[in-house]
Amino acid sequence: MKKYVSILMTAVLGLSLLAGCSKSEQSVPKDGEVESIRLMVWAPSEDQSKDSGEWLQKCCEAFAKEHPEYDIDFVYGVADEATAATQVAQDAEASADVFMYANDNLTVLTDAKAAAKFGGIYEEAVTSTNSDTVVDSLRADGYLYGVPFTTNTWYMFYDKSVFSEEDVKNLDTMLEKGVVSFPFTNSWYLPSFYVGNGCTLFEDGTVEEAGVDFSGEKAVEVTDYLIDLMDHPNFVVDADGSGMAGLRDGSINAMFTGSWDAGSIKEILGDNMGVAALPTYTLNGEEKQMMAYAGSKAIGVNATSDHMVASIQLAVYLGSAEAQKLHYELRNVVPCNEELLQEEGIAADMLVNAQNDTFNRTSILQPFVSKMANCWTPVENMGKGIRNKTVTHDNAKEQTEAMNDAMNSDGI
Amino acid sequence: MGIFKKKVNDFPTPYTVKAAIAEGGVETRLSMLVMGLGNIMHKQVAKGLLFLAVEIMYIVFMVTNGFHCLAMLPSLGSVEQQEVWNEALQIYEYTQGDNSVLILLYGVATVMLTLLMVWIWRGTVKSGYKAECLDKAGKHVNTFIEDVKTLGHENVHRLLMTPSLTFIFGLTVLPLIFMICMAFTNYSKIGNHLVLFDWVGLDNFKALFDSSSILGSTFWSVLVWTLIWAFFATFTNYIFGMILAIVINRDGTKAKGFWRFCFVLSCAVPSFVSLLIMRTMLQPNGAVNVLLRNLGWIAADSSLPFFTDPLWAKVTVIVINIWVGVPYTLLQLTGVLQNIPTELYEAARVDGANAIQIFSKITLPYMLFVTTPYLIATFTGNVNNFNIIYLLSGGDPVVDLSSTAGSTDLLVTWLYKLTIDKQYYNIGAVIGILTFVILAVGALITYRNSKSYKDEEGF
Amino acid sequence: MAVKRERSAKRVRIMNNTIVHISLAILAVIWVFPIAWVVLTSFRAEKGSYVSTFLPQGYTLDNYTRLFSDTTILNFPKMFMNTLLIAICSCLLSTFYVLAVSYCLSRLRFKLRKPYMNMAMVLGLFPGFMSMVAVYFILKALGLSEGGLIRLALILCYSGGAGLGFQIAKGFFDTIPLAIDEAALIDGCTRWQIFYKITLPLSKPVIVYTVLTAFIGPWVDFIFAKVICRANADYYTVAIGLWRMLEKEYIDSWYTCFAAGAVLISIPIAALFLFMQRYYVNGMSGAVKG
Repeated sequence: MKKYVSILMTAVLGLSLLAGCSKSEQSVPKDGEVESIRLMVWAPSEDQSKDSGEWLQKCCEAFAKEHPEYDIDFVYGVADEATAATQVAQDAEASADVFMYANDNLTVLTDAKAAAKFGGIYEEAVTSTNSDTVVDSLRADGYLYGVPFTTNTWYMFYDKSVFSEEDVKNLDTMLEKGVVSFPFTNSWYLPSFYVGNGCTLFEDGTVEEAGVDFSGEKAVEVTDYLIDLMDHPNFVVDADGSGMAGLRDGSINAMFTGSWDAGSIKEILGDNMGVAALPTYTLNGEEKQMMAYAGSKAIGVNATSDHMVASIQLAVYLGSAEAQKLHYELRNVVPCNEELLQEEGIAADMLVNAQNDTFNRTSILQPFVSKMANCWTPVENMGKGIRNKTVTHDNAKEQTEAMNDAMNSDGI
Repeated sequence: MGIFKKKVNDFPTPYTVKAAIAEGGVETRLSMLVMGLGNIMHKQVAKGLLFLAVEIMYIVFMVTNGFHCLAMLPSLGSVEQQEVWNEALQIYEYTQGDNSVLILLYGVATVMLTLLMVWIWRGTVKSGYKAECLDKAGKHVNTFIEDVKTLGHENVHRLLMTPSLTFIFGLTVLPLIFMICMAFTNYSKIGNHLVLFDWVGLDNFKALFDSSSILGSTFWSVLVWTLIWAFFATFTNYIFGMILAIVINRDGTKAKGFWRFCFVLSCAVPSFVSLLIMRTMLQPNGAVNVLLRNLGWIAADSSLPFFTDPLWAKVTVIVINIWVGVPYTLLQLTGVLQNIPTELYEAARVDGANAIQIFSKITLPYMLFVTTPYLIATFTGNVNNFNIIYLLSGGDPVVDLSSTAGSTDLLVTWLYKLTIDKQYYNIGAVIGILTFVILAVGALITYRNSKSYKDEEGF
Repeated sequence: MAVKRERSAKRVRIMNNTIVHISLAILAVIWVFPIAWVVLTSFRAEKGSYVSTFLPQGYTLDNYTRLFSDTTILNFPKMFMNTLLIAICSCLLSTFYVLAVSYCLSRLRFKLRKPYMNMAMVLGLFPGFMSMVAVYFILKALGLSEGGLIRLALILCYSGGAGLGFQIAKGFFDTIPLAIDEAALIDGCTRWQIFYKITLPLSKPVIVYTVLTAFIGPWVDFIFAKVICRANADYYTVAIGLWRMLEKEYIDSWYTCFAAGAVLISIPIAALFLFMQRYYVNGMSGAVKG
């Protein structure tokens, strides 16, 4: 019997491995002809669900109307921005033509050679409507790999009845007036103190050989400051959702997070919700600016797409002013298109202001070189060590140097 | 040295390939080239044609795909993705290059198919020779229908084992061999070898055994903890589960079903839910510490270092594992326990034995006999128990900042961090292989020397 | 004298029983406690993942209704049905594999027997997730990675390795006396009939265990399912959905729904166990004599 079944196995495997790789001719419809194409688009499920207004479907249909030379059959798939890049990289051939991803996964795409570059008129369309920094977040080796549609960073939400607008400019002032909660053990947030005091990551974020510089006096000073901060009675660690819970029961008056929590915080604080860019902190008498990691979310195009022209056009459209406006109206996604940011209604939105203020002034572009992957765990452990009191003033120097060494090592 | 006994064939048969070549007739020798010929010429036409069909399919497959896959295997592809700027369309056009992952996978699959084919070929030659011998001796040669009928009786093991074996080979063994091959390549994020990689031989192994490297020292400490963990996890669960099973099963206990239900309820809720909840509860500001503070058992601003002190973390993980594992042990051991013939117990009671004697002379030996393979399997399962460590402690606390593993990381969770988080696939494969080698030797020795293996009917 | 001994023996028995029942009660409380906490959380009115109080302040059924009405980030009813289907099919397949393999290894003697047992022991030593990508490509080569066939792919994956977990069932079969088989053979049964008509009915407790663990598998696996389903949200399993609720963007408003989802998942599993309880029969005396 084994033999008979192995016949089956051979047959099945044989037939299926007959699939080979092929290059298809990039076709463009000639004048007057209508080309029938099928485009697969991936987006988070909130962008496609009826309850949230079906942003994706509306935009894709608008695109189809604007391009009567194509007869497009859209196929939608669900992939949230954080994992889309990994899924495309795993098997680019079977992935979407157009997808939405977060820029910190850009190297995953470029390493797998799965993302298409934007050039010529399409690149111009992107660079002319967005600020340089946002566009830089999608450049690798100088080439553009996506169309940005929003910035991605974190900033501060506070209770207006406790803090005034002046107070929130400096962390230490805030600590005198109310309770502040910070995600101390989260390595996306903690480096903001170090970077504010001059520590650098890969020089400007792109020079991988330069490595990470979190060493020396500048870093040890920050470690000492953080140890003292931990002891401050009005400073609490935000972990496992304790920040939100604290806002709810009134034990916390300010917390650091991003636009994803804005809805819940609005529910809790109502009109007392205040949003601001990051404050400064006082280190040895000098004011240093906390600097957040910032990135963007973008529309990317699959390098193995059979309909490159249509895909690139669709990507540019999904990141255009109309699409961003619809996104803002339906889901409160903060736009990054420069014209749109001048519009009245949007310019008055304090969330938009705070996010873009942070992006422009109080943040650095999160490096997305490959070695950045080594930088998360050591910082997280420093945060945990300070919280657990295993890092003290006595061993702050060694621990900081150890953290720096770890950030610069592959672990091999 | 029982392992190195001389190989004894328990199933001798005169129909071997050697005999077929030496003593078979012309048609049998021709069967080596044209499978099934011997069967056709000796009244087994249907069977012979079937063998022939298999051979043709294999040849077709090899010609269309197989040779190409095998040819690419030594180089693992070298063509990179080509990019051309199309000025007219204002786009970059891409031609896909080679993908080493796929080349390796298809190459390994083709090799395995070929090996399978060799095995089938041997079988058909033997079958042809058998048909020739039986025919020449004038004995009855099975028709096709009779052959199929034997599947219900003498050859029922072929019928019952084949479906299972097919899937094991396709979905477990093939990926496994693929993974082993990965250890000899440089498939890793380092040096950007994620699409195209090459064979590097034993370089990765050298890096691991170099004790001055971070990887080397991490490997040994993680291995030691993994063994300690597996030992404690297996035995605490086993003993606790057995005691519980016996206690619930004894005559005086009322509402047996209810008690069992209570314990099994905890495995009904998916483990990742309960583990995540427990992890949150044991954080420095989690529910347990808050409760202890409220009760005044610990000082107001301190907290029990469940996951922040290495030793505490290790103990906590073992204790929580008891909570997770005992219901499963309970379920199984109850079944085994209930199968002990009650006559044994009655006889023992008549002879005046007390509870402890009954336990140690009847229950325990019986349980150990039946469950030794299970114990060994659980031990190896616990070595690879990913869920509980990953979800509960995440490997925390990390004591050595430069290493990639935490103090409660098992080999398997460390492997996960290396492959999925950091994409060092080749190093991960090497660690997997080394773990396997160390454990396999130990497990096989214990297993083959255990009573249940050597003397299966002798209960 | 005899009466006194009898009375004190009875008293000892009552005391033993009481101690046993009290200890069982304490242990049961410890075991059920986290489950109770999950159930309480699923009814909790306050949102968020962190609570400073042990018991919820307010109770509501909203979390459950939201699972079924709000499909913005996941379609819970669809996922539930998918997973139920996959679990039932893979459970049936796995049980068949395990029992078939255990019977063959225990009762029959053939050349590949000992090599197979060694191989099974050894294959369990490799971690499964290393080969996830390979399995995905194998399934893709077989054409099972798109559309409705994804469910078939998941069923095959979850039940594929079941033949390696034969140890406990085989140990159990080893204790069934060979005399039963021999008696049946004399009566003219084929081995297949022995398997089907005699061995299976005698192995109910082992079947219970196999069915239960095989059924639980698809509900809790999130790693494999994500690799195979990729972007086909229609075929997601419940585990993927639950896992998504814990991402930082959603955890605050969906945590209590997460607990509600977990409770809903445990219902089929607990129901299955209750149903199979009746197969736990005490003792097996008389099987040989009969």
